[in-house]
Amino acid sequence: MPGTIRSVSLVWVVLLVCLSSRRTSVGAAPICTNGQVGCHVLSLDNLFDRVIQHSARMHGISSDLHSEFEQYFLPSKNQIGRLGRICHTSTIITPNGKENAQRMAREQLTEVILKLLIAWRDPLWHFHQSMAHHHDFNNFSSNKALEMNDMVHELRQGVEKVAEKMQVLGIISNSVTSLASPEVLLPSDSADWRLMKDYDLLYCFRRDSNKVQNYLKILKCRIVPDHGC
Amino acid sequence: MGAIVEPYITECISSNQETFRCWWSQGDFHNLSSPGALKIFYHKKAFGSHWKECPEYIYPNRECFFDRNHTSIWTLYCVELRSQNNITYFNECFNVENIVRPDPPISLNWTLLNVSPSGLSYDVMVNWESPPSADVKAGWMRIEYEIQYREKNSTEWEALEMQPHTKQTIFGLHIGKEYQVHIRCRMPAFIRFGEFSDSIFIQVTKISIKDSTFPLTLVLVFGVVGVLILIMLIVVSQQHRFMMILLPPVPAPKIKGIDPELLKKGKLDELNFILSGGGMGGLPTYAQDFYQDEPWVEFIEVDAEDADTGEKEDNQGSDTQRLLGLCHPASHHMNTGCSNAVSFPDDDSGRASCCDPDLPEQDTLIIQESTSATEEETQKKGKSSEDTEDKRQKELQFQMLMVDPEGSGYTTESIARQISTPPAPPMPGEGYQTIQPQPVETKPAAMAEDNQSPYILPDSSQSQFFAPVADYTVVQEVDSQHSLLLKPPARQSPPPCMPQHPLKALPAMPMGYITPDLLGNLAP
Repeated sequence: MPGTIRSVSLVWVVLLVCLSSRRTSVGAAPICTNGQVGCHVLSLDNLFDRVIQHSARMHGISSDLHSEFEQYFLPSKNQIGRLGRICHTSTIITPNGKENAQRMAREQLTEVILKLLIAWRDPLWHFHQSMAHHHDFNNFSSNKALEMNDMVHELRQGVEKVAEKMQVLGIISNSVTSLASPEVLLPSDSADWRLMKDYDLLYCFRRDSNKVQNYLKILKCRIVPDHGC
Repeated sequence: MGAIVEPYITECISSNQETFRCWWSQGDFHNLSSPGALKIFYHKKAFGSHWKECPEYIYPNRECFFDRNHTSIWTLYCVELRSQNNITYFNECFNVENIVRPDPPISLNWTLLNVSPSGLSYDVMVNWESPPSADVKAGWMRIEYEIQYREKNSTEWEALEMQPHTKQTIFGLHIGKEYQVHIRCRMPAFIRFGEFSDSIFIQVTKISIKDSTFPLTLVLVFGVVGVLILIMLIVVSQQHRFMMILLPPVPAPKIKGIDPELLKKGKLDELNFILSGGGMGGLPTYAQDFYQDEPWVEFIEVDAEDADTGEKEDNQGSDTQRLLGLCHPASHHMNTGCSNAVSFPDDDSGRASCCDPDLPEQDTLIIQESTSATEEETQKKGKSSEDTEDKRQKELQFQMLMVDPEGSGYTTESIARQISTPPAPPMPGEGYQTIQPQPVETKPAAMAEDNQSPYILPDSSQSQFFAPVADYTVVQEVDSQHSLLLKPPARQSPPPCMPQHPLKALPAMPMGYITPDLLGNLAP
């Protein structure tokens, strides 16, 4: 008798845990697109929080990798000589300060974010490949490179969803062109990134991931300011 | 060696990610300490840029301030320290977001959360506000905070985990000790911390703890436990008393002088042996002293001369003596004893001659059983008194006793008492006189000579009814109707008192003591 009671209570506990986890864990279930079944609809601020968290993590990894590179390969203090190249994303017009970012239109800002993320898709993939082949780097670094690559991918998808939601809610107009044809956004001299050294690439990516993070945060606090700004 | 320290830029810091400052030092070049001797130039690594001089000097601080218009985030800045001769002493490149060190948080204070049940430690909630220069509200800067605390006299700080909220709990502070707490912050994923805030001091003393429930609960618990232990002790110590109340002890069979073991079932032979006087554990022979000690033996004293001693006593005495047949006709000694209304212990001559130690019990038991059929055979004789009336009454009563087969009169004395008391005349003397005073005198003689029951004598017709009985009667056997067959002794002379045990003449009946199981068979 006690055995059956125990098993029954176990089943109930498991059921309860499953049900509660379904409700609370926002990250587990996929975000709904049109007509999708088995997912739950997230609010806009929730979506924003997700992408901001994602971008923060991406920025953290890029910072770590950059510091490692600095330790191993560039111990010299000569800072000017470090930057041989300008980042390939410099052609993208981005606001360089708080006021500029706040003055920029939401659609524009969203587009800038997406442009940046799209621009880094290929370079990061190649970077990861080169790191995997170089035996100078330990597994820790190459894992980070791979993670960075994946994150850019996911983040871009997340931001696209946020943009969709905003368009649905009428917060922004439908003029975000990057959603329609992302290839348009690639800079014309996109081949430049192949000439960049790894260190420069890391430096540029660290900077750009920080931009993405900041822009997303500014967007969120402009559109849904009450939730954690 | 003493290397000469050239002028250098100490540090460039931004507190709000909107502006930044650079400080320089002349090093050992004291001739360059005057304002304007050293200059800062910067260059933004952007399209078509060139070197520009510091937009705003603050010479007292040796500081160069870049305002919003001159600050671009995510832009590479290179700054140089040049002398007036365009000698570059120092240069540095950075992105502004990388040199951000937020200002320390403000309004640091604490509240007591709780005190541990032991009253030795407590938890504290510390809260503060973000630095006003950092625009957290617009989302421009995200900040995480680090609390550090230490005991006042300690040198090492304890650091709590960094977190982005503006409050944090410090656990496990000790009562009575004073703690120093300060806080600093930085941007997440960046390495540079801001300056520490001013310290606050936390101290909680014992006086401030007023409503501690710990001692009260402890006292209650101990009190209850103590009371329970006390109750248990009382119960255990008084256990026998409780047992007495709940289960009163059953008295075990006991005969003085006999081992109680023998009184148990199955040890009849040994018991008989002992009771008949054999062995070491045998009962002592009938002695006067033996019965003196027993309170349950009633010494019935019948005083013939004194009729006023008490009717009951007289009645009892005569009754008992008659019933027990102690008046032995053969013995003059005894006869005189009988006539003199001798009590049991006073005159043991009859007993001595009879050598029958068990007579009283025997006789008492014998009297119990009688049926109408055995009336003729069963005869009793007791010592008579001069009171004919008594005898007469007793005779009648005795006859009544005799006639009643089912009489469960165990105690003849009691029954006699019962019967005698209602119709008993107040003055024994009167009664005696009215009814046949003659046989009073003749009775003892008759008894002495005829060996007949005094009950029979007054009435000759009645006397025919009963067979003459000796002074003692031996139970011969028990018939099927649970009556005792008494063997009357020979008429001529009373059988000489056999020093041996007349009890042995009877094979079947256990003499002297009827065991309970046997008594059960006998009882009607």
